[in-house]
Amino acid sequence: MSARSAWRALHYSAKRRAFQPATPYRCFSCTRQASEQAKPDHERMTHFGFTNVPESEKESRVGAVFSSVASSYDNMNDLMSLGIHRLWKDHFVRSLNPGTPVANRPPHAKDQGWNILDIAGGTGDIAFRMLDHASNINHDLQTRVTISDINADMLAEGRKRSTATPYYNTPRLSFVEANAEHMPHIPSDSVDLYTVVFGIRNFTDKQAALNEAFRVLKPGGVFACMEFSKVENGLFDAVYKRWNFSAIPLIGQIVAGDRDSYQYLVESIERFPSQEEFRGMIQKAGFMIPGKGYENLTGGIAAIHKGIKPITQV
Amino acid sequence: MASLPRLPGPRRAISSIQSIRPARLIHTIHHRPSLSPASQSPSTTNPSFKATPSIFRPYHSNLHPRLPPHEYTNSQTAILTASLPHIPTHGFTSAALTAGARDAGFLDVSVQLLPRGEFDLVLFWLASRRGLLRGKVESGEVFGAHAEGLTVQEKIKILVLERLRMNGDVKDVWQDALAQMSLLGNIPLSLLELHALSNDILTLAGDTAVDATWYARRMAVGAIYASAEVVMTRDPTPGLLETEAFVQRRFEDKEVLKGKVEGVSSWVGFWGNTVVGLGRSWGLKI
Repeated sequence: MSARSAWRALHYSAKRRAFQPATPYRCFSCTRQASEQAKPDHERMTHFGFTNVPESEKESRVGAVFSSVASSYDNMNDLMSLGIHRLWKDHFVRSLNPGTPVANRPPHAKDQGWNILDIAGGTGDIAFRMLDHASNINHDLQTRVTISDINADMLAEGRKRSTATPYYNTPRLSFVEANAEHMPHIPSDSVDLYTVVFGIRNFTDKQAALNEAFRVLKPGGVFACMEFSKVENGLFDAVYKRWNFSAIPLIGQIVAGDRDSYQYLVESIERFPSQEEFRGMIQKAGFMIPGKGYENLTGGIAAIHKGIKPITQV
Repeated sequence: MASLPRLPGPRRAISSIQSIRPARLIHTIHHRPSLSPASQSPSTTNPSFKATPSIFRPYHSNLHPRLPPHEYTNSQTAILTASLPHIPTHGFTSAALTAGARDAGFLDVSVQLLPRGEFDLVLFWLASRRGLLRGKVESGEVFGAHAEGLTVQEKIKILVLERLRMNGDVKDVWQDALAQMSLLGNIPLSLLELHALSNDILTLAGDTAVDATWYARRMAVGAIYASAEVVMTRDPTPGLLETEAFVQRRFEDKEVLKGKVEGVSSWVGFWGNTVVGLGRSWGLKI
């Protein structure tokens, strides 16, 4: 019995000898160390305009911005861009040339027409143009567009507008409320054309959205994105910045009665990566880049980026 | 003796490599999804990012390996190659590209891979025919056994006609291509391609002039080829006999023009020298 307790005592002391203090040395003050250790517990931060906010908060804050601008969205776009955004959008759709002309269709193909996914296209600006182009230019009445947006107010605005189009209540047009970073309802390899126009700037995690785009696209499918970008001419850039930071919040205040939302808009434009950086992000998601990879519009105020999902060689 | 540098060695070695290498049409750059981030950063090493095709070096040297005729990526080449058989039926149009993309296993939307659209098809046609011409010459198919007995002028004419015959299948739709090439934004690239062709023709014909006629020769061959292309679109004869006669007449014109220019320049030179000599004999400080 005494032998056992002696053994235990020996064992215990052996264990104690192996003990290492958590801190190798004792500081005079441990506040700094404690705050450093506590940091990983905090949430990752992301930018919301020029301010930093936690990632979980950005979504709701962007949501609030677009909920407040949804009704005056079109008027404001016209005023802010002096109507040029319509030209950009028309050019974007024309260059993509959606829809297959009937004469060029292989007769045996079972899935005719394109399956287009329009992300952040709540008000339907791009979707209606796509469908118009497919039906009027290519006489393709089977191409269909799914409008996906994270913001219910923008979608409601799009639904309201769709009643005035011939695509209302047809299978060619559908609305989905979803987060573009995670779209489990859309199967992999199912989309021909993925478009996001003036939307990806507001995403919390752009790379995740690009990866999700890569997943849902069919091999050979196209990712097309139009977004504000960096003006390349220095003089024009100075004028453009002056317009952005002085005129646009003012117009927002007068017309939409909401200065903060438009202040966020111009700040988010400023924070968006340059043409080359964004091209690198598209490439990182796995896309092939055609040619230069981007096309500048109006001196680089906006740029069209494209990426093609490679087909796997069999 | 052994320590002396043997200059002709590498030149001969490279030229023999060129002769056994087939005409390369495929550019070996492929964007893989699993690239490491370091290799993805937009770098200048990846030629697909260059705004304009840099297939033209500002100088020529036999010691450099030959550049590929074009700079399209694997997938672009796959679509374009598959589109070529559709050109006689659809012309140089997006319909041919779409059909080609479908044949190559891509989707209709994948023609977005070609930022210039139909003009890419035209450029690819020109560049690939240029590569084929070179391949044919190097395999000895064009000049045959009597290559040694031909003069440079004869070789140039044979090559121009050979290149024109390659357009025989598409001559009914060649006007599409001419229209595309004549668009304002496309003119520089079209002229570069024409220069590359006339340069190739002259090099393959064994032209070694390095004086001012270097420019004149390329301009002359380019002009003759381009005008013959237009004539060919209206040539109903099966063997392109009218085009051949046209090319023959233009080469004769070229010779006449060359004679006239040489005559005028020697006349100007003679009188210039005489006037200077006369002035000096009178004591003028010239």
